[in-house]
Amino acid sequence: MDVVVENVSQVFVGRHGTSVVALDRFSHRFGSHRFTCLLGPSGCGKSTLIQIVGGLELATSGTVRIVDPDRPDASRRLGADSVMMWQSLNLFPWRNVIDNVAFGLEMRGVARAVRYEKARALVASVGLRGFESHLPGQLSGGMRQRVALARALIMERAILLMDEPFAALDAQTKIVMQEELLRIFDVTHKTVLFVTHSIEEAILLGDEVVVMTARPGRIKEIIAVDLPRPRSVEMVNSKQFGTLFDRVFHLIRDEVMKTMEQQAAAVGA
Amino acid sequence: MQGKRNFIAKAAETVLPAASIVLFLLAWEIFVREGEIAPIYLPAPSSIAVYLYRMIADGSMLSNLGITLLRIFVGFLLAAVSGVLLGVLMGMSRILARVADVWIAALYPLPKISLIPLLIIWLGTGEAYKIVISAVTAFFPVVISTYAGIQRADRGLIKAAKDLGANARQIQLKVVIPSAVPSIFAGLQLGMGVTIILVVAAEMIGGSSEGGMGYLLINAGQVMETEKVFASLIVLAVMGALIIKLQQWADRKLAPWASLDNDR
Repeated sequence: MDVVVENVSQVFVGRHGTSVVALDRFSHRFGSHRFTCLLGPSGCGKSTLIQIVGGLELATSGTVRIVDPDRPDASRRLGADSVMMWQSLNLFPWRNVIDNVAFGLEMRGVARAVRYEKARALVASVGLRGFESHLPGQLSGGMRQRVALARALIMERAILLMDEPFAALDAQTKIVMQEELLRIFDVTHKTVLFVTHSIEEAILLGDEVVVMTARPGRIKEIIAVDLPRPRSVEMVNSKQFGTLFDRVFHLIRDEVMKTMEQQAAAVGA
Repeated sequence: MQGKRNFIAKAAETVLPAASIVLFLLAWEIFVREGEIAPIYLPAPSSIAVYLYRMIADGSMLSNLGITLLRIFVGFLLAAVSGVLLGVLMGMSRILARVADVWIAALYPLPKISLIPLLIIWLGTGEAYKIVISAVTAFFPVVISTYAGIQRADRGLIKAAKDLGANARQIQLKVVIPSAVPSIFAGLQLGMGVTIILVVAAEMIGGSSEGGMGYLLINAGQVMETEKVFASLIVLAVMGALIIKLQQWADRKLAPWASLDNDR
C-alpha cells in the first residue's frame, strides 16, 4: 500500500482565536513495503501527520489516499489499512496481555477461541510467553512495548504507523526493541511510517528519512538510506552510517535552533 | 546501628497503635473508679463490656444489628444501581447530562436529613422511609463520581480503540465504562458511608419500635442506660469499619488493575 499525501495542512485554532500551523502543504508518497522515518524537532507536526494518515484526525486541507499499486483506481477508506502504535502505548489497563492483544479481533466479532489462539501466537512471537494473564501495570516498560506491538500486528494491516513508540524506553531496551522491529519488518515488509526525533534511530530503521522543518512542518529534505538489509544495531559504527548521520544532523540542527527560538519567543511573549 | 534503629521503629509502628488503645481504656477505667464518676455520666469500660456481653447473650444486640444491616444493604443497593445507571447514561447523552446536572446541583447540597419530616408525612415511620432517606442520600455521591469517571476517560485509549476498529457502542462498553470503574468504586465507598449514617439516624428519629441500632441507642439513652449506649456505639463503630474494609477488599478483587501503576 502506498500512502499518498497531497498538500496536507493542519491548522489548530487556539482559545483566543490564535491559530498555529502545525503542517503546511505537506506532500509525499510513502512507498509500499518501505520503512519511512519522519524526523523533525518537536512540534513540527509529524505526529499530527500520521494521525491524519490513520484516519484519526481530519486535515484542515489537502488529501491523503491509500493506494494499492496493483489496483491504483480502487478507493480505500482511511484507517482501514493501517494500525497505529502510540508513544503512550494506550494499553487498556484493565485487560490482561492476551485480551489487550486480542482487542482488535474482539471488536471485529472473532470468536474467543480463534482470537485467543492468534493472540497467543503473537504474544509468543514478541517474547512474552508466560505473561498472557498479566496486567499491563505488572509489566516493565519494554514488555508493555511488546504488548502494544503485538496488539498492532494482530490487525494484519499493510501499513504500520508508529508515533515515537520507543521514545520513553531506556537505552538498552530501546536497542532490543529496534532490533525486534527490524526483524519484523524483514519478515512482513509492511509499509511503515515511523515518527522519531532520534537521528540515529531514523537512519538505523528507515529506507528513507523525511527531515521536517520546525513549525510550520514542511519537508526540508529527503535522505535515502542505502544501508543494506537485514540491518543490525552494529551498523551504527560503520563509516557509511557516520556520513549519513552528519548529513542529517546538519539539516536538523538548524531546525532545532529555530524551534528553541520560537519557544523562547513564546515564553517572552 | 542503623539496623537496630530501624527495628525499633518497625516494632513501635506495629505495637503502638494497639498499645494506645489499651492505655486509653486503662486510663478511662482508673479515672472512673478513682474519681467515683456516676455510671450514667461515664461508665467504666469493664462495666460496658459486661453490658455488651449481656446484650449479645440475650440476642437483642444481634437482632437489632441484623435489622440495621438489612436496611443499609437495601438502601445502598438502590442508590448504587440507580446512581451508576444514571451516571453512565449521563456520560452517553449530553442532553440528559445537562438536564440531570441542574437537578443534582440543586439537590446535592441540601442536607438530606432535612427531608425526614417530609418523608415521614409521605411514607410514615416504617421501613420505606428509612430505606428511601438512605438511598436518596447515597445516590448523589454515586451518580456524581460515576459521571466524573465517564467524563475523564482517557482520550488516548478511546483513540486507540477506534484505531483498532471499535465502533461507538464498543468504545462506550469496552473502554469508557471500564475506565470509569475506579471512580465508580470511590463513589460507592462514599455512598456506603452516608447510607450507614442515614439509616442509623432514621432509626433514631421517628420513634418507631421496629428495632435497629439507632433505636437501641435512643432507647437506652432515654432511660439513662449509659452502658447500653456505649455498648451500641462500639458495635456500630465495628460494623462500620468492617463494612468499609469489606468493600475495599471487594474493590481490589474486582478491579486489581486500579491500584497498579499504569503509566510507568
